[in-house]
Amino acid sequence: MSMKWVMRAKEKGAKVIHVDPRYTRTSKISDKYVQIRPGTDIAFLNAIVQYILENDLYDKTFIISHTNAMYKTNKNFEFNEGVFSGYSDEERKYNTDFWAYELDAEGKPVKADSLDDPQTVFSGLKDFYKRYTMEVSSGITGIPVETIKEVADMVVNNRPGTIMYALGMTQHTVGVQNIRAFGVLQLLLGNIGRPGTGINALRGEPNVQGSTDFALLFNYLPGYLSYPNHNKPKLENWTASYGSFRAKFLIHLLKAWFGDEATAENDFCYGLLPKKNANENYSIYRIFETAMEKKMKFLYIMGQNPMVSSPNLSVVHEGLSGLDTLVVADLFMTETASFWEKPGCDPSTIDTEVFFLPAASFLEKEGSLSNSSRMVQWRYTGIDPVGEAKSDLDMIDLLFNKIRDLYKDSSEAKDEIIKKLSWNYPTEKKAEAVLREINGYNLKTGELLNGIGEIQADGSTAGGNWLYAGVYAGNENLSKRKDNKTDPSGLGLFPGFAWSWPGNMRVLYNRASCDVNGVPYDDEKKLIWWDEQTKKWMGYDVPDVPVATDGPDTPNGQKPFRMNGEGVGRLIANSYSDPDYVNQTARDASSVPADGPLPEFYEPVESPTSNVLHPKVQINPCLKYPRIESKQPIGTKEEFPYVLCTSSISEHWCAGTVTRNVPWLNELVKETYIEIPEKLATKLNVKNGEKVKVRSARGEIEVKTMVTHRLQTLNINNEEVTVVWMPYNWGFKGLSTAASTNLLTIDAGDPNTWIQETKACLVDVQKV
Amino acid sequence: MNMNRRNFLKTAGLTGVALALADLGFNTKKIEASTKEFKLSGANEYTSICTFCSCGCGMVCHVKDNKLINLEGDPDHIMNEGGLCSKGSAMSVVPNSEERIPTPLYRAPRSNKWQEISWDDALNRIAEKFKKARDENWIEKEIDNGEEYVVNRTDAIGIVGGAQNNNEECYLMAKMARALGVVFLEHQARL
Repeated sequence: MSMKWVMRAKEKGAKVIHVDPRYTRTSKISDKYVQIRPGTDIAFLNAIVQYILENDLYDKTFIISHTNAMYKTNKNFEFNEGVFSGYSDEERKYNTDFWAYELDAEGKPVKADSLDDPQTVFSGLKDFYKRYTMEVSSGITGIPVETIKEVADMVVNNRPGTIMYALGMTQHTVGVQNIRAFGVLQLLLGNIGRPGTGINALRGEPNVQGSTDFALLFNYLPGYLSYPNHNKPKLENWTASYGSFRAKFLIHLLKAWFGDEATAENDFCYGLLPKKNANENYSIYRIFETAMEKKMKFLYIMGQNPMVSSPNLSVVHEGLSGLDTLVVADLFMTETASFWEKPGCDPSTIDTEVFFLPAASFLEKEGSLSNSSRMVQWRYTGIDPVGEAKSDLDMIDLLFNKIRDLYKDSSEAKDEIIKKLSWNYPTEKKAEAVLREINGYNLKTGELLNGIGEIQADGSTAGGNWLYAGVYAGNENLSKRKDNKTDPSGLGLFPGFAWSWPGNMRVLYNRASCDVNGVPYDDEKKLIWWDEQTKKWMGYDVPDVPVATDGPDTPNGQKPFRMNGEGVGRLIANSYSDPDYVNQTARDASSVPADGPLPEFYEPVESPTSNVLHPKVQINPCLKYPRIESKQPIGTKEEFPYVLCTSSISEHWCAGTVTRNVPWLNELVKETYIEIPEKLATKLNVKNGEKVKVRSARGEIEVKTMVTHRLQTLNINNEEVTVVWMPYNWGFKGLSTAASTNLLTIDAGDPNTWIQETKACLVDVQKV
Repeated sequence: MNMNRRNFLKTAGLTGVALALADLGFNTKKIEASTKEFKLSGANEYTSICTFCSCGCGMVCHVKDNKLINLEGDPDHIMNEGGLCSKGSAMSVVPNSEERIPTPLYRAPRSNKWQEISWDDALNRIAEKFKKARDENWIEKEIDNGEEYVVNRTDAIGIVGGAQNNNEECYLMAKMARALGVVFLEHQARL
């Protein structure tokens, strides 16, 4: 549906550039289509950045005002032979302190007098990027030099400009750095915070924003608060690492979870929380791997079907077979719940017991969800769940109450947390009650909070997620609002339609849409401004400033990126901890990527070529793979000569659990297939529709061929490289069944997020 | 009357039919009565938000006799202005599909079939299995670099879900998981 708005922009004269390994329906409506080798986005983007730096095409005012361009990096910072300073070869890890700024006596970053000072971030940037010439980039990516230059000119000459991306950018072992490359480009162009700018994640799941906000991730607590590690046994240890600014929100959360039991004297029950081991990875891949090793006993899965959607499926299957108990809650029977029925598998050899719990669909229950623009919207219902199905909300509530009941007579220390937890939800209007807990209360007045500003660090407020404070402002569920008429900005903000976190802000970093004096760069399309008469930041949007009355002449008036301690955009992601003089600790300590302060190009784990920039550092130096050697072989280009890129398709969704049970979607696209270029089809003597065997180091499947000229062979570092593509939406259950592409894909993961490299692995293709 | 676009279209549609037929000499009173038989007449309406990508498109659902009889894009929604993609517009199938599983099911170790069980039975047994895995695999303390730390967790339980779940469900999952000592808490954020 986002294409609707791309088309609308196009009608108004916007230029559309589409970068994809494969020519698609999006390419068709674009002004410029760029075919790229999967996994080489950094080499492409960095060449554009280099062109901008070399020819002084950046927005000088913007970078001086709103980024760390003028800040001085410490003298030891360097990049050599593929790695930055602070790298440990043995641990495959950086000590990020090596990327710090030069600090003054008060612990504040030192600023240079001029951009050209050799120690500035900007000089460091220029030095780093100069290797990315058009020619080098072209050799790596397969994009002709003239195309890269044409795209660079288009982005420079068509400002403001926005970037829309999805999993094509993130499912790589350099997923985070791919997005960092966007960040550097957009900061240099002044394309952040103003209307029509930004870096927009077109996230792939209906409530993936909410599910990450609420931290269904091992390394966070709700609201992106770092999950406590074993070596942070006390709240003060946590605060020292992550800052007093965030400690306030953690205390607010602990009060929501433990109520009166949480007091300042007992560290607000922080000590009761389970502590993860700081050196362990608890991502979903480790769930299946530890199950394979019989360490994981019990797995509860809600609305997810990893037996289709996870990479390297044989590990998933073996993991599920190693469990004692598997519980799956879903709408339809899934490949995960019935993994023991997988064709070719003998159920009598599988000891796992499985419970399937019928879940109510989104149309059969109430609740809120958050879209890619952080807009929280309410879902109503008007029908009962199918059969005896229940909402996951009811299931969790019932299950927790039953578990708690089993522990009611226990006096063991380990069970104290269960007894102290506040958990008491009504049968009726349960979702609303939970949303009120999430919004938070002032415990002294009993009133619902109206915003983040009311949250206190002394335990006098309690709420489940600081980001959502205000969704229930004025005792009204604002996610239900539907004012689609009122838009004083004329920019489509519609402030009375639903509610966005934080505080109903629609455009993050909107302070950067104004100059240092608080005057909008574009008076025609303004979001916010400093009002000298009332001495306040005002606007059509909620101003993204630390304090609404702190004007441009104060430090707080110059912090468009206020979630960083230094308050400005980081061209180089320098590590920095902002001192809190009152509490004698860090006020803020925003994280930096684990694998480098600047986006460097590394080849995918399975690559058809060598890394021309630094042959000795072929792949991301922080990557640890394989984790289990026998199950995670790495294919070579000699045995597996073609690059496989995989994705979902418009007509089916993710694992296909829902869409493959809809007959007319199955009529649109009925099975897994492989798109191959005409040149490869000729070589293999395969015609459109004929079957081929596709094989990777991890598995093989048979699928039909779609011979296409939407893919063309590429010239990579003077060798011909062939890219093929497959959708991954099928499995052995549902109304439409077909081979699972993820038997082939690789489960190497980005060192920051552990996202798998499903966009680039190597395969062989043979006629059947 | 607060005439939003959706009501406007509905009313305009019906009036238009009546006027057009009146032009042909029909008795419009009778026709008005027959419009009650139109597909959506008498249906209750509620709104929801699509369940596929993260655009957050609005949907209007029509219900008669506790059955979803129609689903379409919400024309008053700022995101989709009435449009839906191929998947979103197919969603009326979901509450009406015979493929939906109506009751809890159990598959015993080494068995080759599912058997129906009651909710009570299912939840009681799941709660017991949960407790067993937790109690038998509890890690109270861990030693790192010669120093002992209290960690209070279990590495034998995994909870996975919810980009398909509503915010309130996600929140309770996180709260339950952490209260029970679970650190393997994950979902499909990477898909």
